[in-house]
Amino acid sequence: MPAGPVVAIRRPGPRAVPGVRMGTFLLRRIVQGVLVVFGATLLIFLATFSLGDPFATTGARVVPTEVQEINRAKFGVDQPLPRQYLTYLGNIFTFDLGVDFDQRRPVVDMLAETVPNTIRLALVTILIDILIGVTAGIIAALRKYSFWDVFVTVICTLAIGMPTLVIGILLAANLSGIGPFPAVPHSFTVEVPWYSEVVLPACTLAIVDAAFIVRLMRGSMIEVLHSDYIRAARAKGLSELRVIGKHAVRNSMLPVVTYTGVSLGVLFGGAIITETIFQYNGVGYLLSRAIVSSNTPVLIAIVVFSVLACVVLSTLVDILYAYLDPRIRLS
Amino acid sequence: MAHPLPVGGFPVPPPLPSRRRGQLAEIARRYRRNKLAMVGLGVVALLVFLAVLEPLITPYDPFEQNLRNTMAPPSPAHWFGTDVLGRDLLSAIIYGARLAVLVGLGAVTMALLVGVALGALAGFRGGVTDGIIARVTDVFLAFPALVGAILIVRAFGAGVLPVIVALALVGWPTTARLARGQVLALREAEYVEAARAIGASDPRIVLRHILPNAIAPVLVYAFTSTGGYVVAMASLSYLGVGVPPDVPEWGRLIEQASDFLRVPGKAHLWIFPSLAICLTTLGFAFVADGLRDALDPRLWDRS
Repeated sequence: MPAGPVVAIRRPGPRAVPGVRMGTFLLRRIVQGVLVVFGATLLIFLATFSLGDPFATTGARVVPTEVQEINRAKFGVDQPLPRQYLTYLGNIFTFDLGVDFDQRRPVVDMLAETVPNTIRLALVTILIDILIGVTAGIIAALRKYSFWDVFVTVICTLAIGMPTLVIGILLAANLSGIGPFPAVPHSFTVEVPWYSEVVLPACTLAIVDAAFIVRLMRGSMIEVLHSDYIRAARAKGLSELRVIGKHAVRNSMLPVVTYTGVSLGVLFGGAIITETIFQYNGVGYLLSRAIVSSNTPVLIAIVVFSVLACVVLSTLVDILYAYLDPRIRLS
Repeated sequence: MAHPLPVGGFPVPPPLPSRRRGQLAEIARRYRRNKLAMVGLGVVALLVFLAVLEPLITPYDPFEQNLRNTMAPPSPAHWFGTDVLGRDLLSAIIYGARLAVLVGLGAVTMALLVGVALGALAGFRGGVTDGIIARVTDVFLAFPALVGAILIVRAFGAGVLPVIVALALVGWPTTARLARGQVLALREAEYVEAARAIGASDPRIVLRHILPNAIAPVLVYAFTSTGGYVVAMASLSYLGVGVPPDVPEWGRLIEQASDFLRVPGKAHLWIFPSLAICLTTLGFAFVADGLRDALDPRLWDRS
């Protein structure tokens, strides 16, 4: 295989553009990301503040005013809002997210307990997504307008219309408690291996995403299959397997990579509905419990965490995209 | 209207039929050819029908509880059975359709108004205005939507209107981004330049020249997202936020059924509300797909 210039011509990729532009692009994206995180923390503070005094009533219990006063002073909610906000921002840098209202546990500990579960769930979901989505997309694109293509397209249309809530309830009602799937998650009572409790929530989350990936993959694959370089590869006499596997699939993965990255960012932030349905001990379930009990410190911490996850992942995707496709960062 | 006198004795040709109506008829014709889209339209029409005529067609009062007859299986007296509180499930679901239509269309309309206004402003003005609106949009997009909606509903108190406002407030950024892109692409169009050359004001250019040409994809998106708003309302209720607890709403019905998911003979509790949600989302999705195909396909080239 010829080395040097030929490769450079065939791949006028990232190296063809001076690194300075990539640098400014990176800087701009990171500054934007930081701004978004600050904006979101401000928004969540304003929103929780508008909910009113968290200690005025705590559920059915009647709390004496003196105790309310002590609680307010203890949690710092008697301070003016700007001051609370700045204190909170300062504390974030020392990984101090406050103490929750219910059990008086450090919020960081609660996150440390649930975040790994959520990340595990997200990764398994994405794995299922890519396996099903890319395979079905390739098949549908290669056999365009065949029975399988129509079949896949119809299933996708139905899947996209199915809300996560309904899919989750359907799976929980029919499969949990049967075979390897636990009726109750291990985190609370019985000990079960992690993979058996992650499968059902992951499938719930994966179905809609996989359907989107099939659509993306099918569309971009069909486009790529009509391109000149595929014709050239065929004309060169490459085997069909090589044309599809090496040239077509690789080049049609770009939209899928983008979509998966953004999707991963959303999943890292916790899937409230799905985790609540399966009582999966992740960020989303913690959040849904925090909402019911008005546990503001937990609420704020999780929102900050999920905004951060979302921003970091989408920034990474943008950078990756700019790296793969130089036209983006030049515009 | 009196025809002007012909100059030199030539008869004035009759006015051409309105081009606008011609185009609408063409879109309707293309839409009707799409079977799936017609099914979707049928589902949406059924929903609206149920929503409007709800007080007349519900066999029982959807709010009336009968704690002596809870979770009864489907029977001739109660076609869908009764729910956890002994309410007639069919009536409850029809009432839920009313809520779904109200909230879905209400939220989508509000999100559309806010989103198109801000998006058009950002796209047309550009510069600092665009920058500020883009950053605000970014913040709202990165914010977990369901959590935002929950907080807003809790701040306003439970009810239908708070849910609509909350969903619109978390839903507008996508519309804004879409509208901005459309307006941006049209801002330099020749006919806009022509309008500016004859001295049209900025609001006139935006409202009369740019928006009519930019709105089609935005409207299609609006239809696509309507199902999403219905699901969001159901999700809110499932989490115990949203409409008051005694209101028979689809998500609330599912939530009340969730303790009985694996109990044999109680499947009607969650199957019927789930079906209702699915039908709604699919119906709106089919309508949106059909509209997208029926509208001029060239509109989809720019984005």
